[in-house]
Amino acid sequence: MSLSIEKRYHQDKDLWDVKIMGEVDIYTSDKVKETLNEMIEEKKSEIQIDCKELSYIDSSGLGVLIGILKKLKEEGKNLVVLNARPNILKLLSITGLDKVFVIKENQNEG
Amino acid sequence: MKGDNMCIFKETVDFEGASQGQKYIDLSIPSNPEYVSIVRLTASVIANSIGFDFEEIEDIKVAVSEACNNVVVHSKKEENFDIRFIKENEKIGVIVKDNGNGFDLADYSSPDLKNPSDHGLGIFVIKSLMDRVEVNSSKEKGTEIKMYKNLL
Repeated sequence: MSLSIEKRYHQDKDLWDVKIMGEVDIYTSDKVKETLNEMIEEKKSEIQIDCKELSYIDSSGLGVLIGILKKLKEEGKNLVVLNARPNILKLLSITGLDKVFVIKENQNEG
Repeated sequence: MKGDNMCIFKETVDFEGASQGQKYIDLSIPSNPEYVSIVRLTASVIANSIGFDFEEIEDIKVAVSEACNNVVVHSKKEENFDIRFIKENEKIGVIVKDNGNGFDLADYSSPDLKNPSDHGLGIFVIKSLMDRVEVNSSKEKGTEIKMYKNLL
C-alpha cells in the first residue's frame, strides 16, 4: 500500500513540517519511523505532521509517533497533528493520544 | 517469495464460532506485514456489501488490521494465518486465527492513557471499535480473535 512523506525544516520557526500521505500500517510504519528519526537526529525541533492526505493509521503508526514524541519531550518539544480526518481523530480520542499530541484542525500548511 | 502462498476460499481451516448456514469468506495469508493491507481491503469490500457506512467501515478496517498486526508480531513468520469473514444480514463477524505461541492476555488490559506506551494498544482499539470481541490465546493452540459489529 502506498505511503509518501514530504519533509521541510523551517529555520525561522525552528519547526519540522511533515506531510504524511497514504496509509501507515504495520508494513509502512517502519519508513515513517526511519524518516522521523533521521529528522530529529538532524534537528530536535517541534514536528508538525500534516495529516490531510493520511487516509489510514493504526496502532503500529501511533506507536511510532509516541516513540518520536518521547524523544522530542526530552528537549521540551511537541508533536503537532494537523488536519487529521474524522476516522483518525476518533482513533486518537479512543487511545487518549489527543491529550498527548497537540491536535490542530483546519489549518493550511505552514 | 518462498512460502508466500495466498489462497481464497480455503476449505481446510478449523474455525470455531461460525455456525452452519452462515455465508463466509476465508483468507489464508503469510504472517508478514506486507500482506495486512490485503486483509484490510477485503474487510472494507465485505463491510460495504453488508451496508456499513464510511465511518463504520473505517472502524472495521482498523480493528481487523489490529488483529492481523497481533498475529504478525506473535506468530511464526514462515506460516500462514487464517481470517474468516462472516457475512450476515445485519452483522459482520471477523475471526483471525494463528498458530503462534499465544500471548498473556493479562498484558493486554486497558492501556494507561496518561502514560502512553508504544505497544499494547491493539486489543484495546479492537474492543473500542467493535460491538463484541472475544480473545482466546494459549501456547498450544495459538491465538484466536473474534469480533463482531452490528449494522445500526
